[in-house]
Amino acid sequence: MVVALGLLAGGAAAGLFGSLLGLGGGVLLVPLLTLVFGLDLRAAVGVSLISVIMTSSAAAGVYLERNVANLRLGMTLELFTAMGALVGGLVAFLIDEQLLALLFSGLLVYVAITMLRAREPAPDDVAGLPPEGDDLDRHVEPPRPDDLASFRSAALAHLSTETYAVRNLGRGVVGSTGAGVLSALLGIGGGIIKVPVMHVGMGVPLRVATATSNLMIGITAAASAVIYVLRDEVDPYTVGPVAIGVFVGASIGSRAAHRVELRVLNLLFVAVLLWTALQMLLKAVG
Amino acid sequence: MSALREAARFERRLGRLLIVVTWVAVVLLAIGTALLRLAGISPLAGGPPFDPAQLVADLVALEPAGFLWLGILVVIATPLSRVAGAAVGFTKRGEPLMAVISLAILGVIAISILAAQLTR
Repeated sequence: MVVALGLLAGGAAAGLFGSLLGLGGGVLLVPLLTLVFGLDLRAAVGVSLISVIMTSSAAAGVYLERNVANLRLGMTLELFTAMGALVGGLVAFLIDEQLLALLFSGLLVYVAITMLRAREPAPDDVAGLPPEGDDLDRHVEPPRPDDLASFRSAALAHLSTETYAVRNLGRGVVGSTGAGVLSALLGIGGGIIKVPVMHVGMGVPLRVATATSNLMIGITAAASAVIYVLRDEVDPYTVGPVAIGVFVGASIGSRAAHRVELRVLNLLFVAVLLWTALQMLLKAVG
Repeated sequence: MSALREAARFERRLGRLLIVVTWVAVVLLAIGTALLRLAGISPLAGGPPFDPAQLVADLVALEPAGFLWLGILVVIATPLSRVAGAAVGFTKRGEPLMAVISLAILGVIAISILAAQLTR
């Protein structure tokens, strides 16, 4: 009973903080399951992948209903992120668990640094985006390829909308593939890579990049989750309480985000991430 | 404007599909977790591996593993159902490139399943 409640509460906490801080639950969930509940790292990754798909699907559904996500861009990059996840899912079973722990430790430090450097979105991030429900003016008929000089610019134009132009598809392809590999290796959604790649590297507004990343996370995690399931690395008994906890926590977090003082939470979270990184590092070095 | 309206409606339909299927998964996992609790099994006791042949029998017998595995399968199927729906929608709307991309994504997932079984 205590273990079940602990997993439920731990999942809820991971989902809540992940949602409040714009991260998937995986970054918190995997260390929680390994360091607190003693799960094998690969087993923790398997549980995390299922939880990540569930929360991202719910969020992506809302984003699509509100026409915030860029479906064409998301699906184009999804193809590469799924390929990366396929490779990562297979490589994960060849890598020593201590190396995985070391990689996770590095990821946590990267996330902590990214959060410390994070700024408020610039005004142009949200300018031009329609209010909720006012979806009709956002779309623009994609230019016909024969109107454009090259296939590349035609593809970019096809992925762009009236309010912003997508650029540097190559960066998106590389970033998405890398995010897919990391997602499969470490059980994370990969939004921490996809969102900056789309926002900074491809000129997509932050809100759209976040929504589109959420859309992509489901497929990214599903591509590797099937590998974990078929290789018996997903424990259904652990998934149940953890996934429900993460789902409930993320749902509460998404509703409470605007009422919470995120600056203080951010700093506290960075401290937690760094402490967790140290614990994972200690696990890696045995 | 009607094409734009249709595009927005298409995305809304996909969004609704995702939300509904996610809730189905949540309910299945909740039932499985409740049955686990009623049976007095610890979530860390180590559940049975996935066995498609056992799934229906476990569901009929109200075994927690049956509901939990079905919930997990529905979770994994949720984004896939969105991609499959998008493939159909893009085909109907005359966007062959996006329809091909959708099918390619499903192809990668199929390769994942195949690769997992071959390397098992």
